[in-house]
Amino acid sequence: MATGNAIDPIHQFIVAPLAQIRIGGIDASFTNASLFMVIVLLAATFLMIIGTAQKSIVPGRLQSAAEMAYEFVASTVRGTTGTEGMKFFPLVFSLFMFVLLSNLIGLIPYTFTVTSQIVVTFALAALVILTVIIYGVINHGTHFLHLFVPSGVAPALLPFIVLIEVISFVSRPISLSVRLFANMLAGHITLKVFGAFVALLLSAGGWAAISPLPLVGIVALTAFELLVAFLQAYVFAILTCVYLNDALHPGH
Amino acid sequence: MSNEPKPEENQSEEAMKARLAALTAALEKQKDPKPDQEALEATQRTGRAMSLGFRVLSEFVAGIIVGAVMGWQFDEWLGTKPVLLIVMTAFGTIAGFWNVYRIAAAPTGPQARDDKRSGS
Repeated sequence: MATGNAIDPIHQFIVAPLAQIRIGGIDASFTNASLFMVIVLLAATFLMIIGTAQKSIVPGRLQSAAEMAYEFVASTVRGTTGTEGMKFFPLVFSLFMFVLLSNLIGLIPYTFTVTSQIVVTFALAALVILTVIIYGVINHGTHFLHLFVPSGVAPALLPFIVLIEVISFVSRPISLSVRLFANMLAGHITLKVFGAFVALLLSAGGWAAISPLPLVGIVALTAFELLVAFLQAYVFAILTCVYLNDALHPGH
Repeated sequence: MSNEPKPEENQSEEAMKARLAALTAALEKQKDPKPDQEALEATQRTGRAMSLGFRVLSEFVAGIIVGAVMGWQFDEWLGTKPVLLIVMTAFGTIAGFWNVYRIAAAPTGPQARDDKRSGS
């Protein structure tokens, strides 16, 4: 990871093709990113299917984990969107499990963090916003545009308010994707830099005495990154619910 | 009842008092997991505070960025460089503040629903 005396924290984010596949003129290679997305999918499937296979009244560890995941997301969806929002539960649950497991699996050494790529997080955020727009327009027609017009506004101010509301709405997918991407990117770069510090100190003769310090830093940082992994998955899920609530009940 | 309790009754009463004291001590110990509960709640509060902080930061920055990008694109369309870029960035900043205001002022989903349910 350290080339010569240089600290290289970016190497972990390189997307390298594992199997070259060209369809038409498009490069659809199976990359290490694809591999880890498949691993995340398998982990989520394993957790839910095998976790609920036993169906015992007093759950074992795996079943308990699966039930906790379900309960957590279900209560979040019901709390923000109400019971009629439960039709979006499969989407929100899939997003939550994908983001959570990608974040967690990325903390294992030598893995690739799927959500540290802006393209992945933007795809997820675009999926959410498109669902909101399409569902809102199909169900409420032009009444959906009342989302941009808060009640009780003087007509003179209306154009400015509408413009600001539109910008605010368009900033939602940007903030949703950039928040997750920036958190994962920053966390992993910091971990790599601290690791490089340990290696550099060890190879610098006398300085090796203080090399346990960055090591302790890495341990504390990994604990922090665990918290951030859960937190970012939770924030992504709850904001998805809030935006879907806007599609279900437009107009404040 | 005689004034002096018999020795056997005395002993059994003391035994009962000892058992009662032991039981009370055991119950007190059961109530003690409070420090764990408080530590858990402290972590949850930190987590909620951090998530709120991240949300506020990203919504504010996203507002500015979206305003700037929209202004830049409209400038390319209509050829009015750099007026629209400046104006839309200003609007984007206002939209960023508006986003932050909405997060801070409006209660989040569950509380709002509770308020509605309690008929306020």
